[in-house]
Amino acid sequence: MKKTKWWGLLAAGMMTLALAACGGNESAGSKSSGSNSGSSASNYPTKPITIVAPSGAGGGWDLTARAIVKVLDETGLVKQTMTVENKPGGGGAVFMAEYATQDVKNDYKLFVNSPPIIINNLKKEGNSPFGYKDTTPLAQLTKDFGAIVVKADSKFQTLTDLLNAIKQNPKSVTIAGGSAPGSMDHLVAILPIYKSGIDPKSVKYVSYDGGGEAMAALLGGNADVIATDASSVGEYLKAGKVRVLAVSAPERLGGVLKDMPTMKELGVDAEFTIWRGVFGPKEMSSEAKAFWEETLKKLSEHEKWKEELQKQGWEAEYRNSEEFTKFLQEQEQQVGDLLKSLGMHK
Amino acid sequence: MDTLSFLLEGFQTALQPHNLLFAFIGVLIGTAVGVLPGIGPMSGVALLIPVTASMTAGLSPEQAAASSIILLAGVYYGAMYGGSTTSILLNTPGESSSVVTTLDGYQMARQGRAGAALAIAAIGSFVAGIVSLIGLVLLAEPLSNVALKFGPAEYFSLMLLGLAAVSGLAGKSMTKAWIMTVFGLLLSTIGLDNVSGVARFTYNISYLYGGLEFLTVAVGLFALGEVFKSILHNEMNDGDIAKIGRILPTKSDLKESAGPIARGSLLGFFIGVLPGAGATLASFFSYILEKKISKHPEKFGQGTIAGVAAPESANNGASGGAMIPLLTLGIPGSGTTAILMGALIMYNVQPGPLLFDEHPAVAWGLIASMFIGNVMLLILNMPLVKLFAKIIQTPTKYLLPLIIAISIFGVYAVQVTTFDVFLLLAFGLLGYWLAEHDYPLAPLVLGLVLGPMIENNMRRALTASNGDYLVFVEKPISLVLLVIALLWIAVPFFMKLRGKTVIVNEDM
Repeated sequence: MKKTKWWGLLAAGMMTLALAACGGNESAGSKSSGSNSGSSASNYPTKPITIVAPSGAGGGWDLTARAIVKVLDETGLVKQTMTVENKPGGGGAVFMAEYATQDVKNDYKLFVNSPPIIINNLKKEGNSPFGYKDTTPLAQLTKDFGAIVVKADSKFQTLTDLLNAIKQNPKSVTIAGGSAPGSMDHLVAILPIYKSGIDPKSVKYVSYDGGGEAMAALLGGNADVIATDASSVGEYLKAGKVRVLAVSAPERLGGVLKDMPTMKELGVDAEFTIWRGVFGPKEMSSEAKAFWEETLKKLSEHEKWKEELQKQGWEAEYRNSEEFTKFLQEQEQQVGDLLKSLGMHK
Repeated sequence: MDTLSFLLEGFQTALQPHNLLFAFIGVLIGTAVGVLPGIGPMSGVALLIPVTASMTAGLSPEQAAASSIILLAGVYYGAMYGGSTTSILLNTPGESSSVVTTLDGYQMARQGRAGAALAIAAIGSFVAGIVSLIGLVLLAEPLSNVALKFGPAEYFSLMLLGLAAVSGLAGKSMTKAWIMTVFGLLLSTIGLDNVSGVARFTYNISYLYGGLEFLTVAVGLFALGEVFKSILHNEMNDGDIAKIGRILPTKSDLKESAGPIARGSLLGFFIGVLPGAGATLASFFSYILEKKISKHPEKFGQGTIAGVAAPESANNGASGGAMIPLLTLGIPGSGTTAILMGALIMYNVQPGPLLFDEHPAVAWGLIASMFIGNVMLLILNMPLVKLFAKIIQTPTKYLLPLIIAISIFGVYAVQVTTFDVFLLLAFGLLGYWLAEHDYPLAPLVLGLVLGPMIENNMRRALTASNGDYLVFVEKPISLVLLVIALLWIAVPFFMKLRGKTVIVNEDM
């Protein structure tokens, strides 16, 4: 009796394993077919193209990928079918590990990313062994900036007030952000602190799940200051609930934020761009690279794209492949310095 | 009076024929999304955003925004209705918020009361939907301010109360329930720690950076565990399971459920208002509460209708409550509401403190349409109960492969990695082994949900207070919650010491 039971279990296990294996084979199959035809030269693209958002549905990467696909399709800039694929896990690290090893020559798979591709590659904990150097950066399409925000009735009137308070007693100020230490919000928060010569390690940083929760903590008085995306504070500013002490832009932003000073204006030599861009595989064929450089440039100049950006509340900033790569090098340097100052560099 | 006239205007928007159609499409798709595991409400809403954008292309911006958000919100709360179906029929939770429904729902189905369970889930969802909407209309402003006051210390104490209440999920042995809770807490530490950014138990495997996916664990433990058990115990020819009794709940069913539905709706609504707490916790809490106050706590887990009515009302109540921080503060309390917010922003409607002033047609139209959508869902779901209940008549030899296929498909569709499929199988085996030895599975799942919240909020609170533990008793709300948690554990203990017979199990 006992024996038959275990046979049953074994059979069930085999069956489910077989099912799982089928799934695995299928995806492996599509991958290899993708990389094989990378050599089908001149009239690229000849097959459907996938743009990967290395996150679940609904995040910034996902929205960007979907917007790109939508406009490229509507304007007829790309005739082939394009689909968005979500590949969540490890803040993009799961996808990168697969892409940088198995899709090195796959001209038909691109992806969207932002500063985390650099940060995850440099930081010690939760490290992604692959970074932008394992890809071909094709173009930067949008930009956003970091903002240092306090509640409207906060005692900190200016960035200088805040920095002085931290200098005197780092334990007296609670800074919050929507992501883990060593990730983007934290880096934005410590940027002016680091640049004005205070040890960033002494700063009290509390991380929340997402910018929304961080904003709730600020409004509810559970945090003194938050670092977040400049684009997400407009509404709270209009409603008179918060005050923006500084933005990390090179010059003043438009719209509701036009009266908000930049860090540079305030005598803190700091800048941080939250960009979003499109990447291809490391060993992309020159035809494919040329095609995408041209197509993404056309996209960035197209009326429909500008409409889409306005709808989403994103700001346009186009850099071509070469400029983008150079910009990434600079940012890698900056992110590296910040992480080192926190003792979080790998 | 002001509110009422705004609401009437909202109904004018919502009752326009095209908006009625949008609401109907939304709840229809939502029901389907809820029934199918693998497409959760989050991906369902996200995938429909571009579709609604093209459907509403001909309307003026304000109207387009109202119409598409009516459709998308329909998907959101429609999914909460549908989520219970597979939990009850196949022991396979489609959404994390319906995990606890499996405990009694599946038992009811096995006893031939699938129809009653499904019907009460629909009725409970409807009542909770309406209750939470009334709450949304009347209490949005004051509650949003209370929710803001809920800081890390308060969250920590609330979660601790949840953990103390775990005795409510115990089966035969309290000790085993605590072992499972701790096991769940341990599993929840896997992944990148959100407070310090340190990787724990990941062994540089990038799949583990995000921790174990809750749904993978729950589906493995409950659905696959049950499948393995059926196979090994040769339940293949057991024809008795297959009978469906009556479709509609009896009068005594309704009477038994009235209390749980009312309490579940209110509890769900208030937990839903807190950003980050959400529908899953609400369903757990309401189940535990019902068991605690029930005259027959031993019936829970054996297929009592209150065990279905309470959590299903609570998760729907929570979805209504979650609209408050979203609409009044622009703070999404869950993944799905974050996507709804993204959709609103796409139409240049920014949820937040100014929403009701700047876009009253959108805000009130949405609220009014939710009233209508809930009625539609009830009408839509009651006839479907008959249809769905038939699934349970499928012979076991077809049903078991079906459950395996649905589980694997569902998990793969969400995670898109074979790693999670293997994890699912591992938890299936574990679930079988644990259930065989009378270890209750629900505390493990609850530990997994509560673990990160307890830990993160405790450390956030301590960081802010410079390591001073007094912060947890200095804040009044936090103190009250802690005292309740303490009493929850201590009172049955003392009563037992004084020789009274209480529901505490013998080997405690």
